[in-house]
Order: sequence, then structure tokens, then C-alpha cells
Amino acid sequence: MKDPYEALGVARTAPNEEIKKVYRRLARKHHPDVNPGDKEAEAKFKEISAAYDFLSDPEKRRRFDAGEIDASGAERPQQKYYRDFAAEDGDGRYASGSGFADFADTDELFAELLGRRRRSARGADLQAQLAVDLLETITGASRQLPLPDGSTINLTIPPGVEDGQVLRLKGKGAAAPGEGSPGDLMAVISIRPHRFFRREGNDVRIDLPITLKEAVLGAKVKAPTPSGVVVLTVPKGSTSGTVLRLKGKGVALPKSPGDLLVTLKVALPKEPDAELEAFLATWSPKGEEDVRKEFAP
Amino acid sequence: MTLTLSDFVTRAKIDRATLEIWIEEEWLLPRGRFDTLEFSETDLARAQLIQNLIDDLGVNTEGVGVALHLIDQVHDLRRALVELTRRRRS
Repeated sequence: MKDPYEALGVARTAPNEEIKKVYRRLARKHHPDVNPGDKEAEAKFKEISAAYDFLSDPEKRRRFDAGEIDASGAERPQQKYYRDFAAEDGDGRYASGSGFADFADTDELFAELLGRRRRSARGADLQAQLAVDLLETITGASRQLPLPDGSTINLTIPPGVEDGQVLRLKGKGAAAPGEGSPGDLMAVISIRPHRFFRREGNDVRIDLPITLKEAVLGAKVKAPTPSGVVVLTVPKGSTSGTVLRLKGKGVALPKSPGDLLVTLKVALPKEPDAELEAFLATWSPKGEEDVRKEFAP
Repeated sequence: MTLTLSDFVTRAKIDRATLEIWIEEEWLLPRGRFDTLEFSETDLARAQLIQNLIDDLGVNTEGVGVALHLIDQVHDLRRALVELTRRRRS
């Protein structure tokens, strides 16, 4: 660095107060953020601020005056200037379109370039967990959701919504710090499982127990579906694991609703049944097949 | 990159009470609110600008708001000019 007195343009005898005054005047003139388009400003400001930092330290000034030290190594650590960020200003939080309302009113081009940025920082997006029952995600539902400001909003839960999916409520988040629009409320869906329905995408699955008699002879049985009980025909000779498909009884998507897949589970009597045992003991099926043939080595 | 409140006060070398005043004055507009404020590199550079205005340029508290407002408008105009220039070329 050159002579700090020269850099500030003050006499070597200048009192501290005067040095401060001169420095501040120069800083007001040369600070890079006061001269956003002037590439030289940064070097000038660096020089005068280094000179001032040096001379405002009484010990350094005394030793420099006495010829004991020179002014090298006095630069401030590299500073980032706001102008470098403002040039990009991705989200326009600090933009202030209000100052150009007169231009924006008279000229469409200026309105577009200047008017749209009006302390445009949006409020923060808020997140809320929203627990819904599995059934609600199958049939769809509407819910009263409490908002941070104490009011409530009617939220439609669309059929087919997935666990972890986010429903965005525009403008229901935090208010903007300036004049921007409020943020959004993000309702994160968490699905509470159902006692016997399960979802596979848009299809719904259920395990339906049937008796041995119903399995062998076939029957009409009552089966629950998401939209209510239906009578289901169990075909004669149904085995455990047989899947019956009830078209359109799954997730209630308006255009292509999912299906309900009913997996039959043959349930033997809970208590041993002497009659059944006696019958089976004497029963010899014709042409007994090997039901475990797929496991044969 | 985003900074938490405690990262921000450390890197900007200011105390919490000062930061609260700056936010209240709308000199800084961090994202989020209350205990979940998020600061960007832009906010950090702006905090340094505010410190420069006060310590180096000798601007008083009332003047800082005015200076920032004018600086913001200059940047709006500069961005508008850049955009105009870009459109004229294309």
C-alpha cells in the first residue's frame, strides 16, 4: 500500500477526527455499493479503507510516523459487495418496484420490467402434517384444516392421494415480510392404515375368510367394499388365495377407478369338528393330485 | 446456500438484538419466520453493506433505510436496463 496519508489526502499532522471525517467522505464517494457499475470503485475503496484502518490505530500510526514500520499488509480481508449479489437477485426479495409506478403506468414495457417487482418476496411456505384414513384416500373426502392464523379451511382430499404426498394450499402460508403475497401451506399427507383394506396404487386389496363349505360348494357371501357391503359370489371349488376382482370398487378416480381385489382365505372351523373329521377319515378322493408337485426336487 | 440464524450472526459479526432490529426495519428480509429464519449469501453481503454504511460511510440509522431503498431501486433499474439491452440484441 502506498503512504496512507497520501491515500486519504490528509496532512501527516491531521488530527484523528479529521482523518475520520475525510475517510468517511471518501468512503461515501467510492464504496462499491454506491457505485454499482464502477469496477474501479472496489480498488479505490480498498485502498482508502486500508489507509484508514491503519491510521485509526494509534500505535500503528505512531510507529509509521517514527519510521519504524511501513504500511504494507494493512488490507482488509477480501469483502464481498452487495452489488455482486443484487445484480442476480434471484428471487427479487429486495426489489422495490414502487419507485417506478409512474413509468409502469404509462408504458407496458416498463410495467413489465419494473412494475412486477414490488417488494415481491413471498411469505414462507408452511408445512403441516395431515393424517388421513386410508378409506378417505380411496373414496376421497373433505376436511376442516386449522390454519396458523386460527381460521380453518375446507380441504378436499382427492381419491388416490399417496402417503407423503403434498397438497399445496396457495396463499395459506405465512404472510410476506414486505408487500409480497403470502406463502403456501403444504399439507403433507400421512395415511393411517385400515383394519382390513390395503392399497396397491389405485387397487384396493382385502383378505376375505370363507368357510370350507362355502369354498367347496360355492356361495353368496357379504363382503365389505370401500363404498359399502356387497354380495359376492364365491365360485364353487374356490381355494385359499383365489382372487376375485370387483371392477371399479377401488380408488374412486373419476375416469379410471381402481378395482377391489378380494383374496379368499379358507377358514376351517375353530373348534375341531368330529363330523368333518369322521367324514374325511373315510373319504378317499378320486385321482388324488399332488398339491405340492411344484416343490418336487 | 442457506444459513441459520446462529450461522448468520457469526459470519456477519453482529449480535442477535442488532439483527432483530435490522429485520424489523426490513433492511434484511430473510426467508422463513421466527426460529426458522433462513439467510442467503445475498443477505450476508447486505449485512456487510449495512455495517459499511454505518461504520465506514458514517450514515446514521435513519439514513441506512434511505440508502438501502435507493440502492435497491438502482439495482432494479440496472436489471431493467440489462433486460432491455438483451431484448434489443435478440
